[in-house]
This record gives sequence, C-alpha cells and structure tokens, in this order.
Amino acid sequence: MGAVDQALALAQRAIGAVGMRPGVEDVSGQIAIVGIGDADHSKASGRTTHQIAAQATERALADAGLAASDIDGLMYVPFSRDQLDAAAFHAHFGTSHELWVSEKGGGMVWAGSAPHDAALAIRSGKAKYVLNTFSVAWATQRPQMIGGPGHVHAEDLYKQNLEVPSGFFPQPVYFASIARRHMHEYGTTAEQLGAIAVACRRHANLTPGAVMRDKTLTLAQYLASPLIADPFRKEDCCLISDGGAAYIMTSLERARDLKQPIIAVLGVCVGSSKSGVYWSQQGDFTATPQQFAAPRSFAMAGLTPSDVDVLACYDPFTIVSLMQIEDMGFCKKGDGGPFVAGDTLHFDSGKLPYNTHGGMLSHAYVLGIAHVTEIVRQLRHEAAAQVKDATVGVFGGYTGPQASTLVLGRR
Amino acid sequence: MIHGGFPLPDVDWEPTREYFAGTACVACGGTSQTWTTVSGRGTLFSWSVVHFPWIPQFKSLVPFVTALVALDEDPGVRLVTRMIDCAIDHLRCDLPVCAVFRPLRFDGLDGEVVVPMFQPTKS
Repeated sequence: MGAVDQALALAQRAIGAVGMRPGVEDVSGQIAIVGIGDADHSKASGRTTHQIAAQATERALADAGLAASDIDGLMYVPFSRDQLDAAAFHAHFGTSHELWVSEKGGGMVWAGSAPHDAALAIRSGKAKYVLNTFSVAWATQRPQMIGGPGHVHAEDLYKQNLEVPSGFFPQPVYFASIARRHMHEYGTTAEQLGAIAVACRRHANLTPGAVMRDKTLTLAQYLASPLIADPFRKEDCCLISDGGAAYIMTSLERARDLKQPIIAVLGVCVGSSKSGVYWSQQGDFTATPQQFAAPRSFAMAGLTPSDVDVLACYDPFTIVSLMQIEDMGFCKKGDGGPFVAGDTLHFDSGKLPYNTHGGMLSHAYVLGIAHVTEIVRQLRHEAAAQVKDATVGVFGGYTGPQASTLVLGRR
Repeated sequence: MIHGGFPLPDVDWEPTREYFAGTACVACGGTSQTWTTVSGRGTLFSWSVVHFPWIPQFKSLVPFVTALVALDEDPGVRLVTRMIDCAIDHLRCDLPVCAVFRPLRFDGLDGEVVVPMFQPTKS
C-alpha cells in the first residue's frame, strides 16, 4: 500500500466517509482542453437555458477553431433542467450526426470530473472532440422558484417533514450551521470568512462580464453588513444568475494541431461521502469529500498542492471555499481561517490565487463550469486578473456528497 | 416515542416512519428501523440564527434559532429542531439541551403540530 493509499484509508475511517470513486483510471496527460466559451453571465435576462448553453458552445467552437460538425461527444447533466442534450445540440446547430453522449458532465462536481470520462471515450475511439456544457437561467426563473438551487432540497420528503418546519432550509442555513461548527472546532472568525468574499469581489471587479464587476467590497463593509443566517452575511453566499459555459476536450495529439496553447488534464479524481445530501446528518460535518478526491488527483498528476499556481473551487458559500482549501491540502485541516486571512487569495499579491474571476460569490452562479474556463484562461495567460506565469491550475468541484479535483497544466 | 419525564403529545407518531423508509443508516447501511425510547437530552451541535425569511411562512417567525441537536444516546443522530427560551448570546456548541414539546404554527396554514423543540438543560 502506497503512501497515498494509506492516507486515504486513514481518512476514510472518519464517520460517513466513503472515499474516492472506484474505477478512476489514470488519464494523466492524455487529453487537453482545446476550446472554452463563457455565455453572457447576468442577472435575470429572459434567456432560456438552451440559448445560454448554445451561446457558450458557439464561443467554445470559435475558440478552438472547430465546427459543430466536428463535435462527436457531448456531456451534460440531466439532473439540472433543460441542459444541452443531443436533441438540443442538433436543433441549434442544424446537425444530425451521431454523438457519443454522457450524462456525467455539466457543472458542479461534474465540471471537474467530466474530463475523466471524456478521456476514456477519446482513448477508446468513441469520440474525438468532446463538448461539456452547463447553463442555468435561475435568475430569470427565480420568481417561480422552479428548478432553482432550493428546488431539489424542497422536493425531498425527509427535508419537507423533518427539516424545513424547523427552519433548516435552504442551503444558506445548512452552511451557516457548518460555519458555526467550524468556528467552534477551529476558531475560524468572521474576518477570515470575509477575506474570501473580499478577494473574490476584487477579482470580479477586474473581470469583464462578472455580475458584480461594478460593486466593490471591503472587509469593513463586509463586517458591517447584516447577518441573514448567523454567522452568514449576504456576501458569504453565492449569486443567483443566468449564465453558463462550455469546454471542448480532445487527445493531446489532436490538440497539437489546433490553435490554442495546450492545457492538458494532468489529474482527476472524485471523492464521496455517504451522508452529504443530508447536511444535518453529515458525519464529517466540517469537511468536504475533497479530502478523498485531491490526494489521488495530485498523485495522478505527480504534483503536490505546493506546485499549484492558481486554484478555483465551487464556492456556494465562503465556508465551502475554506473547507476545500483545507481538504485539498493547501494548509493543515483547521488552519484554513488563518491561511485565507489577509491577501492570501489575491491574484497578484497572494500565495494562493483563488477564484480569480470572482467565483460564484461575485462572478456568476453557474455552478463551477466557469471556474474551469477561468483556469484554462489563466494557464493560457489570457485572464483579466492574470496570475503571473501560471502553469499549474486546479479546479475543485463539489455537490455535497461528492467532490472532484481536476489538475490542469500548460504544456 | 419520546417519554420518561416528558409529556407525550397527543399525536400519531407512526406516519413519521414513512419519511425514513428506504433511507439506509449512514453508519452501517442497514434499512430495518425500530422505535427507540430516548431521554430527550442532547447537546447543541450547531445552529443558525435565521434573520431572512426564505419561505413566506417564516416571515412572522424571524429571527429564530434553527438547531441541530446531537442526542445523548447516539450523538451521530442529530434532530433538526429549534432552540427556544434561550438568549442568543448564551448559545454555544455542545451546550447541554433538553426537549420540550411545543406547538408549531405557520402563517397562512390552518392548525398546528406539536413537535420537540429544545432549551438549555437547567442545572
């Protein structure tokens, strides 16, 4: 048993732990992300989910120098409504060719894990160019509360009857209670959570297209803002947005013939916990399944957290950023608060540039897919808040019961 | 089925069983469920003072304290509940608490249900 496996076995003994997803194969250095496209990110816009995904896809195709007819693999997540499935893809582009289709794509944890399944499809010849998209029109749909972030939780019978009546709903309340417990166990403070919100806002202020581009935030403003679910303020919570993004993957060999710098997939892994859907019963309450995903992904890449130039994590709440930074090994568990304080996460002066587009707190709530396009942009050296000479970038995906770590590198 | 020093509310507990049906135990994976008598005592695992009414029925309730109480019999089981009769400044993680049965009412909904809420254990 190697050192990584030993560490995983130890970590899995925590209550509620499961560990890494079985069947993750070594795909390091086999594929690259060759095209990226962000749709317009906005508040309520009246656009449909399909329109947004199609716009992102058109931009990703142009970025890669490919045509819609070149795409022969399509990834999306049926769990979220109206995603760009094969019928929607063909309807938009007027195509009818055969597509390899996977429902293990999209945003959230899958924004980080899709490259694993794409790599398997590409190396087995099932597809040459695989498109992964995710889009939401939740700001537009908000008045109806349909399909939005609280919807899936509100439909759960256990939550309806045993959680919601006590006011334990929706996600801001779940994660406020996690933040409270983290504060109790490790001494984490409001100022430290605020440092995450401030860094993300500063990055959004620099990023064209960020929803909060024109709204600045200082730590003093953060601390003076009202509590909505103690210890959370509004600024601890992500936006509700319309938007989406897309990225295209192909083999490293084909990537060399395309126009963009090669951004290779170096490591990818998923970790799970048993009880993540019910945060109230989560065994390892103040941790994320990144503790299982990250060690294996870094091992696959032959890298360590100290090699990472830029990090982006799925950040529905400040505490989820903090826990993932701990669980991925960027600092000791429990030291996340002091670690993120001050300018640690800033793109220019910090030691761990983080969510350099503003993340879901300040860029757009498109569930992590725009984090991946931002990491690619950073490694191409084309980002707005560019980290100097970035060559290794990591995305941390999260859904609660699952987390993914995607390590990308400029070749 | 909480009793032993606590007034048993006049409610039919059997229907609550269906909410757990099919839910496997997170510790052992087992799916057979039994009723167990518990003391009604536990500790405040975590909480949030909710100021914003995310659903309309909470408008007249805010601010309120939603809480996770770890049962003394098995701290891995957490009741989702509300803390009552306690100053917010006195709340802290791992505070000993005990159940009290109180009616739960919501604006715009007829009737009420009696549910276990929690307050600090009197020493």
